Amino acid sequence: MSDPLLNPADPANVFACRNLRVFVQDGDQEKEIVRGVDLTVRRGRKHALMGPNGSGKSTLAAALMGHPGYRVEGEIWLEGERVDQLEPHLRARRGMFLSFQYPVAVPGVTVANFLRASLAARRGTEIPVRAFRQELNEAFATMDIDPSFITRYLNDGFSGGEKKRLEILQMLLLKPSFSLLDETDSGLDIDALKVVSDGINLASNEQNGLLLVTHYQRILNLVQPDVVHVFMSGRLVRTGGMELVHALEERGYDWLADESAAIAEGSRA
Amino acid sequence: MAESTSTATAAATAPARPALDKDLLTRLAAAAGDDADGLRRRLAVLDRWESVVAPDRVRHLWRFTNPVQLLPARVAVEAASAAARQPLAATMSGAVATIDLWPGQSPVITLAPGLPAGALNVGPAAGADVLAGGASAADRELFAALNDAAWNGGVGLVVADGVTLPGPIHVRIHAVAAATLPRVTLTVGRGSEAVLLEQHLDGGPEVRVGGRTVVRAAAGARVRHAVIQVWAAGTSGHLAVDTRAEESADVLTVFGAFGGEAAKLELRTDLAGAGAHSEIVGVTFVASRQHGDVHTSHRHLAERTTSRIDFKAVAADQARTTYTGLIRIEDDAPHCEAFQENRNLLLSPRARADAIPELEIHNQEVSCSHGATIAPVAEDQLFYLESRGLDRGEALGLVVAGFLENTLARLPGDARALVESFVGPRLASIREGQA
Repeated sequence: MSDPLLNPADPANVFACRNLRVFVQDGDQEKEIVRGVDLTVRRGRKHALMGPNGSGKSTLAAALMGHPGYRVEGEIWLEGERVDQLEPHLRARRGMFLSFQYPVAVPGVTVANFLRASLAARRGTEIPVRAFRQELNEAFATMDIDPSFITRYLNDGFSGGEKKRLEILQMLLLKPSFSLLDETDSGLDIDALKVVSDGINLASNEQNGLLLVTHYQRILNLVQPDVVHVFMSGRLVRTGGMELVHALEERGYDWLADESAAIAEGSRA
Repeated sequence: MAESTSTATAAATAPARPALDKDLLTRLAAAAGDDADGLRRRLAVLDRWESVVAPDRVRHLWRFTNPVQLLPARVAVEAASAAARQPLAATMSGAVATIDLWPGQSPVITLAPGLPAGALNVGPAAGADVLAGGASAADRELFAALNDAAWNGGVGLVVADGVTLPGPIHVRIHAVAAATLPRVTLTVGRGSEAVLLEQHLDGGPEVRVGGRTVVRAAAGARVRHAVIQVWAAGTSGHLAVDTRAEESADVLTVFGAFGGEAAKLELRTDLAGAGAHSEIVGVTFVASRQHGDVHTSHRHLAERTTSRIDFKAVAADQARTTYTGLIRIEDDAPHCEAFQENRNLLLSPRARADAIPELEIHNQEVSCSHGATIAPVAEDQLFYLESRGLDRGEALGLVVAGFLENTLARLPGDARALVESFVGPRLASIREGQA
């Protein structure tokens, strides 16, 4: 049998992208933020993506979800199907999920109404009120969120930690096959980090996969990724395991900068 | 004035107005069932009709809307006859009175059984005392003068002192004549409570409406008054609501403007008695090429009066919404509080909104604030919702519903239900990608 890492459509893969390039309009010029990324996430695997500020990590995550502000070249695969031409809601319905670095407030829309609409969209059917209530209560308890948040307006006036908990609560409810977690650990105190990490671990199983974007080792100690990538100047410059995380903690990113430049030269040749 | 003497300047400041004469007004009075006083009030307008100052487009109030668009070209008695054949709509459940106004006809009144005798007096015409009490400066205004002289369908409502009506009064005003000039007066007695749901419906491309409603809340009265405009496409017109709140009266004026082509709504409330409170809460929704214009005025004439305005407008396609809001606090009205908020949401790059708040504060011992925002739908909100599986239309519908929610939440049940029955279809068309 062929190596599933080479075939993006292989059923062992939950996500893959090939030669992914992401451009953003900058005045009357286009600027290339992501410069050719190949990545494959197999079922049951947790990947971490680390990189310095401004390297394009959040752009990569948003573009994979289909953010309309970017032009994207290359292939995006979700569970064996091309999704790069699909609108964001169709990617979501097929199982892609993005936990936002800065979850957006939607005043006037209650958390309950929003979650019910999202669940109906993901499952393709309306959820009976009673069953929905029960599911919601359990998820709120798991994420240690006060049930009164159910009737509050979505992310409106929430603290940073409350927003991140609600993101992972959505991950638990929507049961995505592939999750992009964009700096879900940023702005969390130790207790909240534990709750959020436990939620991520609870949502993870042998059938799904995730890509966790972060700056810090501490969430990785709690989530324990199988694969770690270093992302610099729009490219994956190194892939390894937790040992790579320790090396970055000790040495920073500079020692990888030369490799990044070398890869850039190679791609131009 | 002969036409040949008109200059360009005169034409600009004095737009065409429908011709009125004694014979016409006499026949209108007869059709409306006026008594001698009623006819005299109409004819009194005639003396000054040509000299009534037309809206000045330089001033804020009429800066965004051409009054000529809203005025009927001519007023005629015979416009009424067709209306008599219109079928009567069903009576609203729970209402203590349902009144249908057709131009040129006496009001069609359905009273609920069990209404205590003398609690509510419903008559075909307005009493002079009501108009005198609530009219304020509006009497000198063109649209008010036209309605005073030539109104062709009206009802006068009087709630006795010390009465709490067990349900709303529902008035449906059918805009079926080329010049539909309805008038509604409501007097709520001392310490009484009443809900008036005033709905403006029907219409067509040839129809112009000049409506006038006068509400007088006596001392300690509690009045809930909703004005809902859902004219058919092509209808244009001007609706004025003059309200006067006496000592410790509590008045809520709700408006919803959804229909027609060009529509101006003026809501003027005078806080005339100490401790009176007025709240104006409204929602408008304009699409295609609709033009919606809203003016509010809160005049604080007495001490310890409080007012609040919360107005939300949604504009789609190439529609335009404009708002001017005046808060005036007189020098002998200390310890007043006045707040005004206007938020506009644009659903299309070609939609437009303007907002001009005006404060005239003549007293230092007041608390007063205002705020206005005009913004397109935030792309990051849409993307967030889309990333959870909602399509673009569903996401937009949810954002717009959320935008309106905290304003709708201020409305009492009857008024909220009525407003939502018209907001609902608009939201549905957004969800389906049609707005």
